[in-house]
Amino acid sequence: MDIPIIDFHTHTPAWDHASWLAGAAFTPADFTAFLDSAGIRAAVVLSHDGLFHATPEANDRLAEFVAADPDRMVGFGTVNARYPGAAEEMERCFGTLGIRGLKIHPWLQGVSMHEPSLDPIAEVVAAHGGSVLCHDGTPPYATATQIAAFARRHPTVPVVLGHAGLHDTWREAIAAVTETANLYICLCGVPPYAGRHIIDRCPPERVLFGSDAGLSDQVGQAYAVARAHEITRWGVDDTTLRRVLYDNPRDLLGGWPQ
Amino acid sequence: MTISGARVVDAHVRVGECREAALPLHTLLATMDRLGIDAALISPPERCIAYHNAEGNALTTGAAAASGGRLYAYAVANPWRGTDALAELDRARSAGAVALAVDPVLQGFDLHDGLLDPLLRKACDWRWPVYVRTGTPPTALPLPLASLARRHPDVTFIMGRSGATDFWIDAIPALRYAPNLLADTSYAPWDTVLSGFGADPSVGPERVVFSTDAPYTVPEVELERILDWPLPAADRARVLGENLTRLLP
Ligand SMILES: [Zn+2]
Repeated sequence: MDIPIIDFHTHTPAWDHASWLAGAAFTPADFTAFLDSAGIRAAVVLSHDGLFHATPEANDRLAEFVAADPDRMVGFGTVNARYPGAAEEMERCFGTLGIRGLKIHPWLQGVSMHEPSLDPIAEVVAAHGGSVLCHDGTPPYATATQIAAFARRHPTVPVVLGHAGLHDTWREAIAAVTETANLYICLCGVPPYAGRHIIDRCPPERVLFGSDAGLSDQVGQAYAVARAHEITRWGVDDTTLRRVLYDNPRDLLGGWPQ
Repeated sequence: MTISGARVVDAHVRVGECREAALPLHTLLATMDRLGIDAALISPPERCIAYHNAEGNALTTGAAAASGGRLYAYAVANPWRGTDALAELDRARSAGAVALAVDPVLQGFDLHDGLLDPLLRKACDWRWPVYVRTGTPPTALPLPLASLARRHPDVTFIMGRSGATDFWIDAIPALRYAPNLLADTSYAPWDTVLSGFGADPSVGPERVVFSTDAPYTVPEVELERILDWPLPAADRARVLGENLTRLLP
C-alpha cells in the first residue's frame, strides 16, 4: 500500500548562518524534487536561520520559500521570546506572511519553556489557530516534560514534540503526551524500536512523522529519503501508518493539503 | 545483497530480550545471511548488562562457541560489583569472550568515578576492544569517554552510537582528542555525520566501524546507508569490517 506522507519536520537551508553541519544550499524546486523522490505529498517547513538569529527577515525568507508551492509546503516561523516585539512579529507571521505555526528550539535559542515571555507569543498562536513545534530530547531546556508544562499553560494550542524524545528520553515523551491532551509527538530522529513503542502507547490521533530534511550536505536530502522509506519497514500496520503519515498531520493542519 | 570483496562485521548487536525490542539468535543469523554480514559482535540484553551478568556472558559466549566463527562475544560486568566483576570477566574470557561492552546508563555509574578502571586494565592486558554506549545522558556523553580513553591509551574504545543524536556534534571533537577512540555508524546519516567523520583529517574512514545496533534499528537500513555513502571501495571495506577485524583474535 502506498501511503501519502505529510512530513511534519523539515527545514529550509540555513542561508545566513554557518552551523556545524555543512548543509547544502537548495531551492524550493530542489526541495519539491526531494519530496517527490521520498514519496512525500506535503511538508511543514520550519525556520532554520531563525533558530540562530530570530529576525523578521528570516520569517520573510521562509514565507517566500514555501510560497513557491503552497499546495506542498507550509511554513512555521520563529521568534525569540527575549527579543522586544516578539509577539508582534508572531502576529505579522500569521496575519501577513501566511505562516501556520511557531517553531521553538529552546537549546539553540537559549529560552526555557517556563519563561513567561513565551506566553503572549503563544496567545497569538492560539488566536490564529496555529500550532507550536518545539525541539525536544535534549536537556537542559528541551525535555518533553518541560514542553508539556508549557502546553498545559496554553491548552488550546497544539504543541508538537518535534523529536519524540530522541534516543534517550522517548519514554518521558510518551508519559508527557499521555498526560497532556494538547501535546503531539513527531517521530523524527527516534530509533525504530522507540518509534514502534510510541505508536503503541500514545493516543493514536496525536502521533506524527518528520524527517528533519534540510540539513544534508546533499541537495537531494539522502537521509530524509532513507528515513521516509525506513518507517514503512518498522513493522507498523498500514492503517496505523496511514494515520501517522497522513491523517493526523492533515487534521492538525486544518485539512491541508486539499 | 552482495558486498563485493568486503568482509562485513557488525560491531554491536544485543541478543535476547530487551525492554522494548528482542533479537533471538536465529533471527540474527538469518538477518546476517540475508544481508551478507559475515560476523557480528554480540552483547547480552539490557537486564544482563545491568544485573544478570553471568547469565548474559553464558548467553553470548555460548552462542559464539556454537556459531562456527560467525559470532564474537562481548563480556559484561557491572563495575559496581568490584572484585566480583573482575572474576566475572575472567570466567567470560575462559568461555571465549573477546571484547568488553559497557553501558554507563544501564549500569548506573560515571565514567570518571573510577569504578570501571579495573575492568579496563583487564581489557588492556587481554587486548580487548571496549564498546561504550554513548548518547545524551550526562554519564554517556562522547567527550567524557574521550577523556577516559586517554587515560587508557592502550585500549581501543568504540564510541557506541557516536553520541546520537544531539551529541553527534561532540563526536568529532571526542575522536580528535582520543586517538584510541573509534566512531560507530549506527543511526548516523552518511550525508551529515559520516561524511564529517570521513572528511576530518584526524578521523577518516580508518576510525569508523559499522554496526547495526540491532534490535533497536532496521538492520538493512543501517547497512544500506553505508553502501550509499560515496566512498572509495577500500575505505568502505575498512568501515564495513577491516577496522574491527584488526581488533579481534
Ligand atoms: Zn529539526
